[in-house]
Amino acid sequence: MKKDILIIFSIVLVVALLIMGTDFQSVEEYYQSHPDAITPDSKTVYFSIRCDTILQNTDKLDPALQSSEYIPEDGMILAPSRYVLRDGDTVFDLLLRITGYHKIQLEYQGADVSAFGSVFVEGINYLYEFSCGSGSGWTYLVNGENPQTGCSKYEPKDGDLIEWFYTCNYGEDYTPLQNQTQPK
Amino acid sequence: MSAYSKLHPLTCLVGYLCILIPAMFIKNPVIQLTSLLGSVLFLSVICDRKTIGSDLGFYIPLFVLMAVTNPLFSHNGATPLFFMNGNPVTLEAVIYGIFMSVMITSVLLWCKCYGIIINSDKIVYLFGKSLPKLSLLLSAALKFIPELKRRFRLTSSAQKTLGQYSTESYTDRIKRMCGVFSSVIGWSLENAVEKNNSMKARGYGMPGRSNYSIFKMTAADKTISVLYIACLSLTLAGAFTGKLYFSYYPTVSGIPDSPLALASYFSYFVCAMIPIIVESEEAIRWKYYRSKI
Repeated sequence: MKKDILIIFSIVLVVALLIMGTDFQSVEEYYQSHPDAITPDSKTVYFSIRCDTILQNTDKLDPALQSSEYIPEDGMILAPSRYVLRDGDTVFDLLLRITGYHKIQLEYQGADVSAFGSVFVEGINYLYEFSCGSGSGWTYLVNGENPQTGCSKYEPKDGDLIEWFYTCNYGEDYTPLQNQTQPK
Repeated sequence: MSAYSKLHPLTCLVGYLCILIPAMFIKNPVIQLTSLLGSVLFLSVICDRKTIGSDLGFYIPLFVLMAVTNPLFSHNGATPLFFMNGNPVTLEAVIYGIFMSVMITSVLLWCKCYGIIINSDKIVYLFGKSLPKLSLLLSAALKFIPELKRRFRLTSSAQKTLGQYSTESYTDRIKRMCGVFSSVIGWSLENAVEKNNSMKARGYGMPGRSNYSIFKMTAADKTISVLYIACLSLTLAGAFTGKLYFSYYPTVSGIPDSPLALASYFSYFVCAMIPIIVESEEAIRWKYYRSKI
């Protein structure tokens, strides 16, 4: 009988630890995050989220997403604008903070479980990898170039232009936007 | 012996495939719920009360476990309920999880039912000539779990007489049960290999040998088979033309209700109800004859 009590006690302990280790937040709490206010001496980056390649590939798009609610007509989920860059911020930190502020849905695989040793972004705004053909998914470009590292390992500099870009063809279909606000 | 299991093995096999193919491959809640309804009714007709009670104790926790697992790992969906470790737990993922477990539970229940209906005799009859190895494998695989249960009961009662369970502590009892389980597994696996050798020694699967069978295709068997195939074709027609399309993400779409979709639902419903109709027809006839005595 002593053994039974011991076993039950340890099971209760493990369950309690699991619940304690999980962080529960309500929807309002999660979306409370605020980007810092821009001051003259703060470092900034330009940040945007684009999915305009889908507009040329609507035949491949998952029928559940074929609505202007999920795919904006101009393909801009988040138009380029300036955000404060904190010291040591990676591209992923910025993405997390800015999507949280604008209430844009985001799903990612943490660096600890992803095969690349870096965070892997699975979906933004309900648009997931493979939602638009077999070569589709999220990638990011800094000043129009692919940095070739994971987004939680790349630390952008002051004035960089960061574009989260939905590709339908393995990242080969990038085109710079016309008359885009380029950083000074 | 149920009325359905008296049908020709080929008809039973056709029925099995006609039920399972739509249930596994069409992602539509109406189809999935129909399949669950049919499997539960069929199981309650062919099994006794005691088996059903112990089955409920297994399938309900399994259902809940599978339904809860999905929202923990899938964070897609437009309606977040709350956030867990920075990831949303969404309403859509919960709904998707529930319908996934409806699908899996119904498929498991159908397999259980047809495991009772299509016994090893029928499997050897169906595949013994053309695929002797596969039919032996299938019959051994289908018999493995019931045989394992029987042997477990046998071994544990033998252990009980040796005084192995004379302890109050649950922990000790579970430990002993693990010991019995591992020995039973070893016994069963060894037996499976031996069965193969013994069948070979008897000349199973050699050319020129015939099998004795008692099955005869009657007009009723043919009618039911044709009905099954007609219903399956109509259901698949709905699926292939995309009329049964249903999506859970990012928001749950409406249930398709075009005429072809309704026809598909109805034909699948007929598919799922045939076994129960066959069973209850027999029961009604039995009552009718008895009332005349």
